[in-house]
Amino acid sequence: MSNEDVDILKRALQREKAARKQAENILEDKSLELYQITQELKETNEKLEYLVGKKESELQGVFDNLVDAYVLMDISGNVLEMNHAANQLFGYDISKDTLNVMTLIYKEDYQYAMNSFQELITKGSFSNYQARVYTKNNGIRTVHINASIIKDKNKNPIGAQGIVRDITEELLQKQIFEEQKKQLSVIVENSSLGIALTQGGKIIQTNKAFQNLLGYSEKELVKKEVKDISLKDEYVASEDNMKRVNDGEIDSFTVNKRYLKKDGNTLWAKTNVGAVRNHNGSVKYQVALIEDITEQLEFEKQREKLVTDLEKTNQELKDYAHIVSHDLKSPLRSIYALVNWIKEDYSTVFDKSGLDHLSMIEKTLEKMEVLINDILSYSSVSNKDNLKSKDIDLNRLINEIKSIVLIPEHIVVSSKKQLPIIYGDEIRIQQLFQNLIGNAVIYMDKEKGEIEIDHKDKKTHHLFSIKDNGIGIKKEYHEKIFKMFESVGDNENSSGIGLAIVKKIVDLYEGKIWLESTPDIGTTFYFTLKK
Amino acid sequence: MGLNILLIDDDEIERLKFARVLQKNNYPHNIIEAINGEEALDVLAQKEKLPDLIFLDLNMPKMNGLEFLKELKADATLQYLPVVILSTSNNHQDLKEAYRIGASGYIVKPLKYEDYVHKIKCLIEYWTVNELVKG
Repeated sequence: MSNEDVDILKRALQREKAARKQAENILEDKSLELYQITQELKETNEKLEYLVGKKESELQGVFDNLVDAYVLMDISGNVLEMNHAANQLFGYDISKDTLNVMTLIYKEDYQYAMNSFQELITKGSFSNYQARVYTKNNGIRTVHINASIIKDKNKNPIGAQGIVRDITEELLQKQIFEEQKKQLSVIVENSSLGIALTQGGKIIQTNKAFQNLLGYSEKELVKKEVKDISLKDEYVASEDNMKRVNDGEIDSFTVNKRYLKKDGNTLWAKTNVGAVRNHNGSVKYQVALIEDITEQLEFEKQREKLVTDLEKTNQELKDYAHIVSHDLKSPLRSIYALVNWIKEDYSTVFDKSGLDHLSMIEKTLEKMEVLINDILSYSSVSNKDNLKSKDIDLNRLINEIKSIVLIPEHIVVSSKKQLPIIYGDEIRIQQLFQNLIGNAVIYMDKEKGEIEIDHKDKKTHHLFSIKDNGIGIKKEYHEKIFKMFESVGDNENSSGIGLAIVKKIVDLYEGKIWLESTPDIGTTFYFTLKK
Repeated sequence: MGLNILLIDDDEIERLKFARVLQKNNYPHNIIEAINGEEALDVLAQKEKLPDLIFLDLNMPKMNGLEFLKELKADATLQYLPVVILSTSNNHQDLKEAYRIGASGYIVKPLKYEDYVHKIKCLIEYWTVNELVKG
């Protein structure tokens, strides 16, 4: 081996040593690097595990606390998992029972359920599924479901999850609400009152009657404001009321106002405006109810006119009775005077029969005077202008009447008991008793005449009776005698108005008058006077 | 001493009745007749011949009794003339109104002539003894 060779070998060895050293260094570096990476990986892994754990527990929380029912099932519909709400809803505990969703589907909704399931498989999800299901304890419930498919990493479907909400109550409420709404709208639509919903003066909605009253269509009306269909000055007046409603001072108000119709005419309507308030009391809407009172006003106008006419006619009638009576009285006086003068101046010329005839003229004139006076008092009985009410002692009044009526000696007028003091117009009350007592006297045919006055207190009324033992009155005349000029007796001093006056006075005191009578035995008149 | 009496009545027989009472009883009084308020006012316009007393009917055409009375009482001189109402009306309103305006008396004419004579005699005798404001 030459030196050269040795040298070569030596150099080669040295190179090898160096290379080895270098490789060792590289290895050492790489190992360190690897260690570091491993370390990092470990840390990342731990971090990930922590995060996954965290997410899992979060998810479990959400899952458990979900208000809606959550159901996880395999592709055949076997339920794998249910949350608390799902247990509650369906009534099954899948830790004990096995459950397939197919068994829950309501018979009639089966086809719909199948279609939806198909959609789930093909599209991966469905939403707003709404159908009925059987539950273990709650009967048939209507549920709303959103569902989606779960796939493995090869994109093969392995199961499905669904969020289920029980909407049975909600639907029922909605149904009731809809029904009420429908009922209400039927009422509103068919109401004969015009109804309009307004907001801040703008018309929001109207009913048929409102449209008919004004001659506008609903479309035309919702473009209008209340002031467009009101008369300007009246609108201003209503505004005042509206302000009080807005201020919460009043809740509603009623006014009679005019509306402008489409055809340019106006319509008088009684309008009731009510407020629909928000929770805070502010006014959300106004509801206006309008009622056509054109006719009513017309009637009222007519009625007023009638009343005025009637008052006028009544006054005329009163004046008429008054004037006619006096105009009739004057000629009577003249005739009476003339007859008297003839008697005075020519008494020697007349024979007895002639003088008798003159006397008969005088008698006739006197009768006519009575008649006129009776008509006059009949017409003035109800004239309240000369009604002067005060306390009247009837005992005194009867005594006075006894002296006015001139009671013959064979007739006794008596009171069964002490008579009361009553409140009334003395002239009329006297006329009432005087006419009845007078009649009893005139129609007395017995040798011993008895006229007896009695009284009973009847709370709101006084009941009086005047009983006689005179000729009596036949039953068929009991009604007739109270009418004007219906004297049923043949007494020449009777005008036939006396009992009509009596009846009118009793009417004036809101009483009743009637009689009991037996012909030849006697009559009892009863009458009541309001206290 | 005779009184000058102004009788205002539209009814001729009423005027005759009144005159007859005076005549039959030989009263020395003088009657001036007027058939309504207007005519009476004409009579009274001649101030130098004013009556002592006026008898006035209420129910007359043209100017009625109460209207006449009102005018009379509104006149500065004529208001002192006593006016007695002679009427067939015993209506309370008329009575009250007559006295309110200033009537000195109110006689309701009775139906019977003898009653009338009695009343007029009383009336005349009453006024004969009265002191009067001479027109």
